[in-house]
Amino acid sequence: MAARVVKVVRPAPTTKQWLPILIGLGVASAHFFRNLFGFIRGRQDFTVNFPEQRFVQPPAMRGMPVLVQMANGKERCVACGLCEWACPTSCITIFPAETAAEVERFPEVFDIDMARCMFCGLCEEACPEEAIVMSRQVEISSYSRRGSLWRKQDLLVPEAELKPRLDYLRAQYARK
Amino acid sequence: MKIVKVTVDGRTLEAPEGTPLLQVMLDAGMDIPHYCYHPKLSIEGSCRFCQVRIEGIPKLQISCNTPVRDGMVVKSDDPEVHLVRRGVVELLLLNHPLDCPICDKAGECWLQNYAMRFGNREGHTIDPRRKRGKRLDIGDRMLLDQERCILCRRCVRFCNEVSKTGELHVFELGEHSKLDIYDDQRLDNDYSMNTADICPVGALETKDFHHKIRVWFLQETATVCPTCANGCNAMLSVYKNRIWRMTPRRNDEVNETWLCDWGRLNIGYPTDSGRLRVPIVDGAAATWNQALDRATQALTDFTQQHGAALGAVVSPHLTNEENFRFGELLKALQVKQVAMAVQRWKPDDLLIKAEKAANARGVRELKLVSGADDGLEQLLGAIESGAIKGLYLCGDDLLKVTPPDRLEGIFSKLELLIVQSLTNDPRYAHAKVIFPTTTFAEKEGTFTNHAGRVQRITKALDTPAGWIGDGELFTHLLNAVTASGETYSIANVWDRMSSDGAAFAAVQFDNIGPHGVPLAAAGK
Ligand code: SF4
Ligand code: SF4
Ligand code: SF4
Ligand code: SF4
Ligand code: FES
Repeated sequence: MAARVVKVVRPAPTTKQWLPILIGLGVASAHFFRNLFGFIRGRQDFTVNFPEQRFVQPPAMRGMPVLVQMANGKERCVACGLCEWACPTSCITIFPAETAAEVERFPEVFDIDMARCMFCGLCEEACPEEAIVMSRQVEISSYSRRGSLWRKQDLLVPEAELKPRLDYLRAQYARK
Repeated sequence: MKIVKVTVDGRTLEAPEGTPLLQVMLDAGMDIPHYCYHPKLSIEGSCRFCQVRIEGIPKLQISCNTPVRDGMVVKSDDPEVHLVRRGVVELLLLNHPLDCPICDKAGECWLQNYAMRFGNREGHTIDPRRKRGKRLDIGDRMLLDQERCILCRRCVRFCNEVSKTGELHVFELGEHSKLDIYDDQRLDNDYSMNTADICPVGALETKDFHHKIRVWFLQETATVCPTCANGCNAMLSVYKNRIWRMTPRRNDEVNETWLCDWGRLNIGYPTDSGRLRVPIVDGAAATWNQALDRATQALTDFTQQHGAALGAVVSPHLTNEENFRFGELLKALQVKQVAMAVQRWKPDDLLIKAEKAANARGVRELKLVSGADDGLEQLLGAIESGAIKGLYLCGDDLLKVTPPDRLEGIFSKLELLIVQSLTNDPRYAHAKVIFPTTTFAEKEGTFTNHAGRVQRITKALDTPAGWIGDGELFTHLLNAVTASGETYSIANVWDRMSSDGAAFAAVQFDNIGPHGVPLAAAGK
């Protein structure tokens, strides 16, 4: 295929676009000087001292997807495969299996490759069982590729901890 | 038969008189919803889903039980028809469990599909859903979920009309109806798993596929069942380089829309952990090149030393093309005694044929073997008498058809044994070289079924890097022995196979199509 050069023509910025930039610069400089000379009078912290202090994100925040763990220690997931199918980056791998328990199907393998996950939340939306939800967890870096592969056991989070998100989700879906 | 004309939604369709109207519409590519109608079973008319308006008849009619007659005017796009379809779906969903997330049928379920197309999005009932038996173990290979059953009775008719075993029955009446087996007879016939295919919902499931994998991940490849000489047309469903199931593919000349359970279950061996994956030279694992060199060396040394004292066993599991190339190799090695070993089992008069291999007829058509037992007794006798001192053995059937002590005697007499096998069986301990053989799922080619129909198989599984298939293997050896530069491709083998004046002369590879073609000799 022959290469094609596309010339992008950008219109010159108008006053309408300049103005917000100037306002933004104004705000930033104001903070800068307040911080610089704040030791004299009335400085307040705009940041938390991570990791000792942590900011509690609102429930609408989408961190990494995790699996809901029921009171009996089992996952709520029934390995229906809808999240696996919905995931745009194909980072979920599930192999179902059967048990004699009343809920007869469970994921024998449930892996998420966090190096590929983009926190889009489509898995959560696809799930018919409220079994996979977006947590507030965002610290997922690791020293190896293998470390980015989260297995079922790593992904399980007790239901109680996920309550804010579950309540938030139900409120969202109840809205017509 | 008289051909009649009917008009459906303004289109004129032609069909032999008496064909079910539904079939005529389906053949014309129209999308008429239906559950209980199946082209290979009798007409039941229980689901009421296929109703259409026929001019001159006041009430809607079920199109599956309406034979076409000349001049019929039919409307399927009619407000009342739409109303009926919505009603049927709503009635079925009244008591249907919300099992889709754990139901094997989800993704190819007729109820799901039609409910999405015709159903209301909301239910109108407040009563609890009906409780019925779930996960009932009704046969060695089958499970039944009565809650999911929509009582179309396809499975009942299958057991009455096709397998003729009659295990299934709808008991009780009306609201209480439920599908079940009789107390004293489980659903264990040789064709039981077909009921899961024809069940439009997930009420009948095979244990083999139960909770295994989502159907939407499966890649389907059209192939031919390798298990017996009938050559039933099938679909292989593959995901992550593993075969998860084999389902029938319709071919009215061979298997209609059925497969036997034994063929269907015989899909594990290509990915079996015990399968031989690397060549074995003198009892130790080796590379393909080492094995090829060793085999060439051994074969040339042997012919120099003993002349034409080499025998060969052809495999009925290899394709026509591979066996043709093997024939060329045998000619180059001046092999006189060629035989074929074929396992047998109990045939029936539906699908199962006596020979437990897909291409025995192909080997005979290629004239590689002759005689009632395909020359096997003669070859074994010649080895025992010492006339034959070397053997090129393709496939493992010889192990299964020869008594163990006789086999041991034969193997111990051989000075040269080269094997192409699925496993590194301890009985091959004498072998100079053991090559891994390639299964039907890993190659292209054709099989000739018992009636002489040539049918294509298609590659569904990937082989490991560096793997050499049977056809290439024979070609490498042929090149090494005759110092020529052949390549193996289906096209160039067929050029010779069909120009040789041999049995395949009338068939062109490109004309084989999805349902195969009979050899000219067959039936003429
Ligand atoms: S959040 Fe998005 S990318 Fe991550 S697992 Fe879910 S669907 Fe996939
Ligand atoms: S969609 Fe939900 S229930 Fe289905 S496999 Fe994913 S997490 Fe499990
Ligand atoms: S039979 Fe169909 S509709 Fe019923 S649970 Fe199974 S997939 Fe869902
Ligand atoms: S089990 Fe399936 S095929 Fe049999 S009657 Fe019920 S829905 Fe029909
Ligand atoms: S298909 Fe016609 S009534 Fe069921």
